[in-house]
Amino acid sequence: MRLNILIGGKAGQGINKVSAIIAQTLLSQGYFIFNYRDYPSIIRGGHNFNVLSISDKQISSHESKIDIIIALDENTKQVHKNNINKNTIIIDYKPFLNLGLNANIALAGALAKVLGIEKQILLTQINSNLKGKPYLKSSLEAATAGYNSQKQTNQLKKLNNKPTLLSGSKAISLGAINSNIDLYIAYPMTPATNALHELAKKQLEHNFMAFQAESEISVVNMALGSSFAGAKTMIGTSGGGFDLMTEGLSMQGISEIPLVVYLASRVGPGTGIPTYNMQGDLDIALRAGHGEFPRIVIAPGDPTETIEITNQAFYLSEKHKALTIILSDKHIAESEFSSTIKPQKPIKVKVNREVPGEKNTIIKATSYEHNQYGITTEDPTIAITNANKRLEKYKKIQQACTQFPMIKTHGKKNSKNLIIAWGSPKGAIVDAIKDLDYKFLQVIYMKPLSNQIKKEMQKANKIILIESNLTGQLGRIIREKTGISIKNRILKYDGRPFRSDELKKQLERELRK
Amino acid sequence: MNPPSLPGDPLRTTKKITWCPSCPDNMILESSQKAIESLIKQGHKRESFAMTCGVGCHGKIFDYLNISGLYGLHGRAIPLAIGIKLGNPNLNVIAFAGDGDTYSEGMAHFIHACRFNPDITLIVFDNQSFSLTTGQATPTSQLGFKTKSEPLGEFNQPLNPIHLALSANATFVARCNARDLDHTQQTIEAAIKHKGFSFVEVIQDCMVFNLETNGKDDRMYKIPKPQKLSRALKLARQFDYNQSETKIPLGIFYQTHRNTLYEEWPQLQNLKKKRISWKQLKR
Ligand SMILES: Cc1ncc(C[n+]2csc(CCOP(=O)(O)OP(=O)(O)O)c2C)c(N)n1
Repeated sequence: MRLNILIGGKAGQGINKVSAIIAQTLLSQGYFIFNYRDYPSIIRGGHNFNVLSISDKQISSHESKIDIIIALDENTKQVHKNNINKNTIIIDYKPFLNLGLNANIALAGALAKVLGIEKQILLTQINSNLKGKPYLKSSLEAATAGYNSQKQTNQLKKLNNKPTLLSGSKAISLGAINSNIDLYIAYPMTPATNALHELAKKQLEHNFMAFQAESEISVVNMALGSSFAGAKTMIGTSGGGFDLMTEGLSMQGISEIPLVVYLASRVGPGTGIPTYNMQGDLDIALRAGHGEFPRIVIAPGDPTETIEITNQAFYLSEKHKALTIILSDKHIAESEFSSTIKPQKPIKVKVNREVPGEKNTIIKATSYEHNQYGITTEDPTIAITNANKRLEKYKKIQQACTQFPMIKTHGKKNSKNLIIAWGSPKGAIVDAIKDLDYKFLQVIYMKPLSNQIKKEMQKANKIILIESNLTGQLGRIIREKTGISIKNRILKYDGRPFRSDELKKQLERELRK
Repeated sequence: MNPPSLPGDPLRTTKKITWCPSCPDNMILESSQKAIESLIKQGHKRESFAMTCGVGCHGKIFDYLNISGLYGLHGRAIPLAIGIKLGNPNLNVIAFAGDGDTYSEGMAHFIHACRFNPDITLIVFDNQSFSLTTGQATPTSQLGFKTKSEPLGEFNQPLNPIHLALSANATFVARCNARDLDHTQQTIEAAIKHKGFSFVEVIQDCMVFNLETNGKDDRMYKIPKPQKLSRALKLARQFDYNQSETKIPLGIFYQTHRNTLYEEWPQLQNLKKKRISWKQLKR
């Protein structure tokens, strides 16, 4: 069973509120949901919509086919008319106009009836959401009015699953807290901003600090300072801010101060399409910063992996005095995924290095080439020794990363048709290939790259690369590493994530080729 | 690893000094070291000090002064210093920077440091020139200054850092003459003791570049004590960094108390109260 519910309206009308109430109600009934959020860079007005996909089985994507539309304005029906067919149920805002701010609660009520959720279950959910609010009573009345206005067309009975709901931004925060983060420093930039909000909200409870600096240049330099002083530090941004941080990454390379960077991509170049999705920043994550120095780049495919990878990033950075970049994007950061899979138990992150302030310790770290005391040198022998050490360090890092899942495989284990992808397309791919003859190789560690990739490729007859970008950036690094160039590519770069039903059709076509 | 010190001089590394022989940078090193020595005599530990440096001739102080620190990129001494303070509020953090460093590449950091009021000290070596890159004009160079990169002469009025810091709500603003070692030492000491962002601009000659602005000593005089803001602003305008006959006031122009960064954050207050770093914090 699978339904896609589109909730659309103007920014500020409470679209997220409707989807949150329904999502929580459905979760409490044991259903899996996936909530895609599509919004332009407009604070009030415009057209925003969510697609809430629901199923009795694990899903991690939404579809293009829409079963139910909740229209908070006229425009919503217009914009999505191509996805509407004669069976689509449209729940209109007009009958609830007189309810003011409660209109969206009434629409949630109407949707609950259509889905066949018992009224009492919905009211209990609203009760717990709005407990103590002065408008609780009128909201309950609005929900009831909405409920009574519709005909029931589905029968969602209670299931035994117990999924929990998580966005990638919350997952970053959880992963950081699991790692005992001391300091998060950032400058607001979509889609990394929600991680800042989330961590700022939790800082007092977990006794760490979230600090907003005056620019990303300042962010990265402050982070080098605080990490030098012994604080487990993470910074976060999107592509544009990451560009500004570049000098600090290079300084990390020579000063060897542990640093974790959360890079949540959006559509570039330039300011691009700020609130939409693109996997366009793999190249800069891998190479930004002048000079030659080691780094680790890890790309989660969903929030659960984000929790685990954030912890791995802290661990690896601290253990190897390394730069680790967590490469995510808007689709993971801002979509909500339900899952019954628990993240792995976090590894303890310990600061074992000398830091300033410790008894009888003088410690110098520097952006210059330096001798063992941290004092500047231009000596060619030391220059060679230190450069070689950086190379050695990368070998150690390569070895250390093999303790974590650097790749994962999904789908039919023995299939000769291999899909290779990384990051956010994971959800749509996994859902699309459920009934198809495909094996899906998910690359998680982008640097170092797993040796397994070549072996998997050699076993396959047909290889398809899937990425949300223009040029197939993973394809390039795989060719660099393995010498194999992937000819079949499904690349999407309209800023919108893959929808699993459309992707399934494309993949079926590929099988017939 | 602890760098070795000169015999009998724990605050000095064995690194050979490579500043030009008569460069006042040598004197600023001397005054800074004396200030730290004096604070150590008053009970501070040597390991409680941490410095940051920008890139320029001034930055070489990093290699000579034997205290902990972070030698940053050009223009970033301030955010590094704020970062160290966030990372351990119990450290005495001193940022050494140049005029090019602070007022050109790192200008935004300077203004925001005045605003954030972190408990750090900024010491700017102001030689009114980019010296390590062989003498181009900086924001404090005088009108008309002809350089290899500006052969037609500097067209822009120099920036007045004292006035700017006062306008941006800095809580400690001072100016010294590098050649006046005692006064510079005392001012740096007072700056480090100040709770909040303390800014000490040290005027120095460059012996190789921008010679025409050198030799201002006999125009300098000392303000006996910190002034009210309105008066401090007036005094700041007395010298506009151009060639002229005007007097140049030295000393602490202004000092006030405003909650510092760590006083605003309960998490940092906690570390400060327990005298621990994040590394020692048990959760
Ligand atoms: C990002 C960057 N841009 C430019 C430089 C080149 N550079 C090195 S020192 C310097 C000027 C330093 O001038 P100032 O801060 O006044 O210090 P001084 O040498 O006069 O002490 C410049 C521009 C650099 N190191 N980094």
